[in-house]
Amino acid sequence: MNNPLHTPLCDKLGIEYPVVAFTHCKDVAVAVINAGGFAVLGEALHTPDQIASDIRWIRERIGGKPFGIDLVLPSSVPEEKTVDELLAMIPPQQREFEQQIKRKYDVPAPKIAPDIHHWGGLDQKRALDQLEVIFDERVPVFASGLGSPAFLLKRAHELGMQVWGLVGKPRQARRQIEAGTDVIIAQGFDAAGHTGNIGTFSIVPQVVDAARGTGVPVIAAGGVTTGRHLAAALALGADGVWTGSLWLTSRESDVNMPLKERLLEAETEDTIYSNCISGYTMRTTRCPWHDEWMSDAAPAVLKPPLQMILSSNYIQGSLDYQRKDLMTEAAGQGIHYVKEMKPAPQILSDLVEEALDVFDRFAG
Amino acid sequence: MSSTVSPGEPPFREGFAPALCTVEAECDGGRPIEGTHFAGRQSFTGRLTGHYRDYGPYPWRWYLLASLTRKPEGFAQDAVWCDAASLYLVSDPGRTIEEVLPTE
Repeated sequence: MNNPLHTPLCDKLGIEYPVVAFTHCKDVAVAVINAGGFAVLGEALHTPDQIASDIRWIRERIGGKPFGIDLVLPSSVPEEKTVDELLAMIPPQQREFEQQIKRKYDVPAPKIAPDIHHWGGLDQKRALDQLEVIFDERVPVFASGLGSPAFLLKRAHELGMQVWGLVGKPRQARRQIEAGTDVIIAQGFDAAGHTGNIGTFSIVPQVVDAARGTGVPVIAAGGVTTGRHLAAALALGADGVWTGSLWLTSRESDVNMPLKERLLEAETEDTIYSNCISGYTMRTTRCPWHDEWMSDAAPAVLKPPLQMILSSNYIQGSLDYQRKDLMTEAAGQGIHYVKEMKPAPQILSDLVEEALDVFDRFAG
Repeated sequence: MSSTVSPGEPPFREGFAPALCTVEAECDGGRPIEGTHFAGRQSFTGRLTGHYRDYGPYPWRWYLLASLTRKPEGFAQDAVWCDAASLYLVSDPGRTIEEVLPTE
């Protein structure tokens, strides 16, 4: 039997295992790449200078191996307002409810102002400035975590870069494949953060069907935390898996320790799909903020970005003072299987071994 | 169809494609969320006004979708700018706007 884990994605990237780690931590990315997997570093929040610095830091540590950078390109944008204008738009009822929560749970004030108060939104101009760094550095893989990368394909390909697109609907996959996107990541509802509403087991085969005959590899995302998930994804026709929650509690991860403990304790039911954090529905671990906003006493959740302004002080305060009881983090439904704080290479090795065991079992 | 280049700000070229005016479309949209490293997906249905904006050298084209009949709960605006590749014409969702109604 050929190695079932050696997929076209491995050939396309020159990697040993078809496992992609999506992470915001450079140390995790380097550890996974050097262990035979692939890593994509999320840089959506960073300035062009920070992105350039991170790219060089990674390159110095991986000996010419490929890596990826993920940016969140917008695909719809309302007219922008200043932060002061937005603050003035928060109704007294919701502001008072936020204060009630803080008093009830003794939520500390943040040590520093949350990003939202001095950062503003990511718009087209900012995304373009970030992209210039990606092009200047000729990053081997650029991954678009939201919007279509169709407009930048020509330039990226001329520079020898691969462009990946993360989709939540089959029609987005078809559109991106037709445009020339090199790899499609099919993300299911099980995933962390802001997802589409189609489950991983449903969206992956549909995207695989859309890609059939095109030579475009498909990567399965959403709830992947074990070798059984990896084997199942390959059985669905995917060429690899995209994993995020799996690495949050790794030893290399820069997630603070109480939050790691919270994530290690979390069960699938502790992840909740709610709009009370940002105004957008997103999957995060449940915390008192969720409980209060889901109670009968709660006022209506505000539209984005007002709800994020309300929740940002709570979230930052919980992190600054390491209040595990208050903390929340985006995590997928596969968090149930994340139970130990292991080194990233060990996590990858365990994933691979378990997947191979599955295939051995089926082979007889 | 018209197009103008603004010196300095704003950082886009504006134009108008009359052939797209009142064409019904859906947008699989979304954007980064301030203060987080996440993005929110949002879906819209409405009618194109024909107005567009081109950002950067590629260009990265955006169309204005108005008269919204479907938008996320709490979305206050009556119109939204949509990336061209994320728009689907209701009458022909399998093809891009440029394929169906060439604008240039």
